[in-house]
Amino acid sequence: MKRLLATTAAALLTLTTGLAVAGSATAADCPSGHFCVWQEANFGGQRANWSGDDGWWESWISDTDSSWANHGISGPGIKDHVRVYESAWQGGSMTVCLAPGQEVGYNGAANDRGDSHIWATGC
Amino acid sequence: MSLSTAPLARRVLPAAVALALLTGCASIRSDLPGPPAVPTARAAQDALLRTAERRLVDDCLTGRGVRATAEPRAPAEDRALQAALFGTGPRELSVTLATGATVTAHSDGCLAAARDRLYGDQRSWFRVQVVVDNLRAEAQARYRDDPAHRAALARWTTCVAPPGRPRPEHPDPGEAARCARETGLDETRARLERAELTEVRALHHEELATYRQLRDRALRRAVLLPAPTPPPKGNAPS
Repeated sequence: MKRLLATTAAALLTLTTGLAVAGSATAADCPSGHFCVWQEANFGGQRANWSGDDGWWESWISDTDSSWANHGISGPGIKDHVRVYESAWQGGSMTVCLAPGQEVGYNGAANDRGDSHIWATGC
Repeated sequence: MSLSTAPLARRVLPAAVALALLTGCASIRSDLPGPPAVPTARAAQDALLRTAERRLVDDCLTGRGVRATAEPRAPAEDRALQAALFGTGPRELSVTLATGATVTAHSDGCLAAARDRLYGDQRSWFRVQVVVDNLRAEAQARYRDDPAHRAALARWTTCVAPPGRPRPEHPDPGEAARCARETGLDETRARLERAELTEVRALHHEELATYRQLRDRALRRAVLLPAPTPPPKGNAPS
C-alpha cells in the first residue's frame, strides 16, 4: 500500500518536474551536521534533512529518495556515519552507509527505496 | 619506561627536547621516551583517530577563516562552512560499490585534507574506507532477494503495518523490534548475513589489507600529533 502510494507520488512528481538535470559538479547544499536526501538524482528536487535519526521517513520522501549526502561533523565519540535502510525502523536491508563528506548522486539499486536511517559511530 | 598517557607524553616530550637544547646536554637524549604507544583497544584507537582528524580539520578551517562551532549559523555562513569543510567543484573521489551505489566526495575540503595528512593518501583511504564501510550493505544486498529473507520481510511488514489500517505516522520502534523477533526476521537475517559476510570479506581481502595498513599508519601519526593549542581568548587572531 505504502509502496504503491509512493510509486504513484513519484510518477506524478516525474511528470511535473521532469528529469533532473543538476550537474554533478555542483556541491550538494546540505546543512552541516545533517544527513540529506533528495527526491531527484544529483541532489536536486525536494530535500529532506535530519540532524538525528528517523525510523520512518515522512511519506513524501520515503521510497522517493534518489540522492543522499552525509554532512555530519566528526569528533571523538560522535555518531557521524549514516546507515540508510529500505524499511522503517531498520527492518529491511541497509542500502548504503556513508561517512561524513560522502555522497551518492544516484544508485539504480537503492533508488526510491529508502525508509529510515540512523546515525552510528561506524557502519 | 614509557609514559602512561599520550597527552602527558605530548607535553613532556617537547619540554625534554627544549631542556636538552638549553643545557646542551646530549646525554639526555638516551633518557627520552620513544613515541607514545598506540592504544590496543579498538574504541581507544577510534577515539584517537577521531580526535586527530578533528584537530587537523579545525586547524585547516582556521586557516580558511572558518570555524565549526555548535552554534546555529545563518544559511550563507553555513554554506561557507560546508564549502570549506566538505569541498566544492568536481567530485574527484569516487568508488562504485557492488551494490550499484557510486559514493563520491570532494578532495579539496578540510575534511579531505585532514584525511590526506592522517592516512597519507586520501584517494587510497577513500577507496578502502567506502568498500569496508559497506561490506555489510553488500552482504545484505546479496541475500536481499533470498526467498527466506523475502518471506520473513513480508511477515515483518504485515506485522508492523497490518493491511487495512492507515499507516501510523510514528509507529512504535518497540513494535518493529518485537515483530522482527516474532516473525523470524532477526534470525533469518543473522543466518544469511553470517554466510554472505564471509564471502564478501574474502572478495575484498585486498581492500581490507590496505584498510588495516593505512589505519595502522594513521594511528602512529595520530599519537605523534602535538596537543591542540588552546583556543585564543577574546578575538580570533588576525
